[in-house]
Amino acid sequence: MREIKNQIDAYRKELEKATARIKDAESLQELHTLFLGRKKGYVTLLMNAMKFLPPEEKRDAGQIINLFKKDVQDVLDGRQKSIQKSRIISFAADLTLPGRSPYWGAPHPLRLFQNRIESIFQKMGFSIEEGPEIETDFYNFEALNFPPEHPARDDWDTLYLDKDDWLLRTHTSPVQIRVMEKRKPPIRIICPGKVFRKEAPDPTHSPMFYQVEGLIVDHGITFAHLKGTIDFFLRTFFHEKIKVRFRPSFFPFTEPSAEVDISCTVCNQKDDNCRVCGGSGWVEILGAGMVDPQVLKNVNIDPEKYSGFAFGMGIDRTGMFQYQIPDLRYFFDNDLRFIRKFSRQ
Amino acid sequence: MKISVNWLKDHIDLEVDPDGLIDALNNIGLMVGGWEAFEDDIVLDIETYANRPDTLGHRGIAREIAVKFGLPFKELELPLDESSLETADLVDIQILNEDLCPRYTGLVVKGVRIESSPEWLQKRLRSMNLKPVNNVVDVSNYVLFATAQPIHTFDLGKIAGNRIIVRKAGKGESLLALDGSLLELDSEMLVIADESKPVALAGVIGGMDSSVTDSTTDIFIESASFHPGSIRSSAKKIGLQTDASYRFERHTDIAFPPLAAKMAASLLCRFGGKVSKGLLDVYPAPAKTKTVVLRRHRIRGLLGLDVEDGFVVETLESLGFLVEEKQPHIWQLKVPSFRIDIEREADVIEEIARFYGYDKIPTQLPPMEELEPIHDERRNRIESLRQVMFHQGYDEVVNLSFTHPEEESLFHTNRRPVVIRNPISTRASLLRTTLSGGLLQNIAWNRNRGAEGVQLFEMSKTYYRKENDSYGEDETLAFAATGLVGEDHWQGARIKADFFSLKGTCEALMSNLRYAACSFMELEHECFLKGAALSIHYKGQIVGCLGEVNPPVLKYFSIKEKVWLAELNLTRLFAKQPQPFMFSPISRFPSIERDLSIIIDKDVVFQDIREVIDRLSILNLEKYVLVDKFSGKPVPDGKASLSFRFVFRHSSKTLLAEDIDICQKQILAALRSAFKIHLREGESIDK
Repeated sequence: MREIKNQIDAYRKELEKATARIKDAESLQELHTLFLGRKKGYVTLLMNAMKFLPPEEKRDAGQIINLFKKDVQDVLDGRQKSIQKSRIISFAADLTLPGRSPYWGAPHPLRLFQNRIESIFQKMGFSIEEGPEIETDFYNFEALNFPPEHPARDDWDTLYLDKDDWLLRTHTSPVQIRVMEKRKPPIRIICPGKVFRKEAPDPTHSPMFYQVEGLIVDHGITFAHLKGTIDFFLRTFFHEKIKVRFRPSFFPFTEPSAEVDISCTVCNQKDDNCRVCGGSGWVEILGAGMVDPQVLKNVNIDPEKYSGFAFGMGIDRTGMFQYQIPDLRYFFDNDLRFIRKFSRQ
Repeated sequence: MKISVNWLKDHIDLEVDPDGLIDALNNIGLMVGGWEAFEDDIVLDIETYANRPDTLGHRGIAREIAVKFGLPFKELELPLDESSLETADLVDIQILNEDLCPRYTGLVVKGVRIESSPEWLQKRLRSMNLKPVNNVVDVSNYVLFATAQPIHTFDLGKIAGNRIIVRKAGKGESLLALDGSLLELDSEMLVIADESKPVALAGVIGGMDSSVTDSTTDIFIESASFHPGSIRSSAKKIGLQTDASYRFERHTDIAFPPLAAKMAASLLCRFGGKVSKGLLDVYPAPAKTKTVVLRRHRIRGLLGLDVEDGFVVETLESLGFLVEEKQPHIWQLKVPSFRIDIEREADVIEEIARFYGYDKIPTQLPPMEELEPIHDERRNRIESLRQVMFHQGYDEVVNLSFTHPEEESLFHTNRRPVVIRNPISTRASLLRTTLSGGLLQNIAWNRNRGAEGVQLFEMSKTYYRKENDSYGEDETLAFAATGLVGEDHWQGARIKADFFSLKGTCEALMSNLRYAACSFMELEHECFLKGAALSIHYKGQIVGCLGEVNPPVLKYFSIKEKVWLAELNLTRLFAKQPQPFMFSPISRFPSIERDLSIIIDKDVVFQDIREVIDRLSILNLEKYVLVDKFSGKPVPDGKASLSFRFVFRHSSKTLLAEDIDICQKQILAALRSAFKIHLREGESIDK
C-alpha cells in the first residue's frame, strides 16, 4: 500500500514535469499513452499492482488510484484545450483581418448602360457605328425628312454653331444616313453616342445626353420584324416577364411610326398613384418605325426593293428608370460616390 | 389638346366608358396623357402630333373615334337666319399676297345682341379652360376648339371703308393688339387691314380698335387660310403664341373656311343676328386634291401581315378618302384636304396599321442571310484603354462637352474653339478643346466632399476649328490624379499620387496598344509647372502630354493640393501604325541575370541611356530594368549611380558565362563612349 502511494507521488511529479513540456497534440498523445495507456500505462500498472494487496487494503488503494486517474485525466484534458487554442495563436497574425487588393476603377454608369445595350444587339448580329457629333443641317434634319420650317424641328431644339448649317447633332440618326450613303443593304447597325439639345439642365433635362439608335435595311423587312427585335431587346434588358406595348406615333423619318411602352417595373401595373408611371401602368421607353421611303430615297436606296426599320432610345433616361435615379444631372456631376455605386451593378 | 367627351357627342353616339375610350385613343396613336372630371363631363388631355393639325379640334378627334368604333359621323345642323343683304355689298375682300393667304372667306352678321353666352356655350369654353367673355368672342373660340379652324370677328363698323385688305405690313406700321400690347410691325408680317391701317396681325391676334365691344351690332366673320411659315415667323417675332397661331402654324384645312364661317354665323343668329347672303370666298388658286396609289402587296411588305380588302376600303372611306379600285388589290385614293400628313403609299399603310391595331401585327425576328465581318479596331482599342485605366485604379467620368471662354483660355491648347451661336449660357458657349477642365472640376467637387484621393479619367471627343475653317473632333483620353491612392489598409500607409504614378499609367497605356516605342520630351507649357511636364511622342508627332498642373490653373478651380494630369490625343495616335504583334515560342532554356551598376553624370537622362542600349540590339537580351538609382556618398558629386539588371536568354541553348561577358562588354563600351560612365563593383569603382 505504501509502495503504491509512493509510486503515485512519483507519477504525479513526472506528470507535472511532462505536462510543462507538452507543446502539441502529438506530445500530449504520448503523455496520454504513458499514463493512461490500456496495456502499459501507469494507471494500468497501478491497478495490476493493486491485485497483490491484501483484500482489506484493496478498497483504499482503489480509491487512491481512481483519484489519481481522474487527476491525470483532468490535467491532460486541460492541456488539450490550451493546445487547441494555441494552435491559432501560434500563427503570427489574425487571419480574419481585411485582405489587400489593388483598387479597381469604376466605369461611368452611362458607359455601363451603353455596353449592356450594345451587347444585346450584338448578339442579334448588329454592328456598332459611330459618327461625328458636329453635324450639318442636311444629315441631322433634311436627309431625315424634316422639311425646313416644319414644326417638328421645334421639338428638336438645336444648338447651332458659328458657321451656317452646322450644328450639334440632336440625335444619332445622322450616323444612320452616313452608313446608308456608303453601304448597300443588308444594313444592321446600332449607333450609340452623345447628342445635344438646347435644354437647360434640370432633374430630367440636360443639354447633352446619350442615345442609341438602331437600323435594319434589307429585302422584306416588316413592322413584324421591328416588333420582334424590340420585344427581344426589352425583355432581355429589363425582365423576361415585362409587357411591351406598341402604339402609333409620329416621327418625320419613319412611317408607320410607333412609341414603345413597357409595363411599369416599379408598381407592376398595380398602383393607381405610382409616381413613376402615374398610374397608367406603362412607361414610354423607345421610339421606332419603318424607315420613311423618302429617307431611303435620300440615300439612293430603292424603297420598292428594300425596306427597313429604325428605333431610338435615351440611354440616360432608360438607366434612370431602371435604377430609379432621381436626377439626370447626377450623371454629369461625377461624384465618385455615385459613380462607384454602379461598379457592383 | 383638351378634349371634352360630351363635346365629341355632337358628332358620334359614344357609348363607352372612359377607360375604353382612352384605350381606343391610345391604340390609334392619340395618346391620352391624363384626364379629369369636369362637372358632368370628362376632359381628356390628348397629345397630338405636328403632322396631324386636323386633330386640334373636337371634330377631328371625333372622326378618328368614329372610325375606330365603326360609328357614323354626324355633321352639325347649321341653320341660318338670312337677311336680304348680299355680303358682297357690305364688305369688300382683297388679297394682295396670295402665297401667304391662299383663301379668305367672310360673312356679315347684323343686329347681334352682345351679351353673355348661354350656359351650354360657357360650359364648353370652361371645359377648355377658357374664360367666357361675351357671346361673340365665345363663338369664335368655340368654333376654333370645335373644328381646329380659327376664325376672327371684327366690328364691321370699325372697318374703315368696309374694306378688308390682306397684305404685308408697311414700314413703321403698328397695331394695338387685343391683349393691350402695341406691336411694331415689319414688312414681312402679314396683316389684315382696312382702307387705312392694319386691324389684325393675320392668324395671330386681332386689333383692339376693330374688336367687338358691348356697343357692336354688326359683325364681320373672317375665316381664312394662311401660310404656316408666315404665321410662325410673325408669332415668333412678337413672342406670342395664340390658339389661332398654333393651328395656322401647323396647317389648317384649306377646304374648311366656308363651313367654319357658316358655323359662327349660325351661332350668332341665335343672338338676334341676321346673316348676309352669299359667302364671300376669295380663293384664287384652289388646291388640287392629292391622289395616292395603294397596293395590297405593299401593305404586306411593310406590315408583315395580310389585311382584308374590305377592312382597307372601309377604314379609308370612313377616314374621308375616296377609294377607287383600279386593278385587283390596287386602289387609287383621293386624300381628304384635312389630311396634310398623307402624301405617299406608306402614309396610307400607317392609317391601316393604326386602325387594324399595332397589337395585332405579329412579332417576328428579322431574317439574317448575310453577315459582314466586323472590323472594329478603333472601338476595341478604346475599350482596351478603358480596361487599363480601371486596372490602374482610375474611375471613369463623363463631363458635358461645353466650356466657358475663360476656362478654355486657361489651358492654352493652341486650338481655335468651336463657338455655339445660341448657347444656353455663356458658361457653355464653347465646345471644349481639352478634357482637362472637366477633370479639374471633378477633382474640386470630390475633394470638397471629403475624398482623400481622386484618380479619374475621361474618354470623349475634343473639338476645334481647323485651319481651313472646317470643324474637327478628336477622340481624347485624359486622366488626373491627386492625393492618396487606393483605400486605407491596416498593413501600411497609402501611397500618394505623384508624377511617376501618372507616367506609369501613360506607359501602360502605350504598351497595351503596342505603342511602347514612344518617347518623352521635356515640355514647357502654361498649363504645367515648369520642369515638371513631358510631352509624349510617337513616330515624330506629339500624341500627348503629362505633368504637374500649374498652381495658377489649380487656383482657378480652387484646388489646393498638387494634381498631375495627362491628356492623349487618340485620334492622332490611332492614325499611326502600332508595332506589329508577333508570337514567338517561349524558350525552354534558363536565363542568366547580370547586374551592372554604373556611375554617370547626373545630367544624363534615363531615356538617353535607354536609347543607347536599345540601339545596340544585343543578341539574346530578353529585357533589362533599372533597379536602383541614387547619388550622394560614396558616389562623387555631380554623379549618380544607376543599377541595371540585364536578363539574357537563348531560344535554343543554355547560355554560357562567356556569351554574356561579350554582351556586357558591348553594353559598357557603348555607354562609356556615349556618357563617359564608370562601372561600379561593390564599393570599388572600376576605372
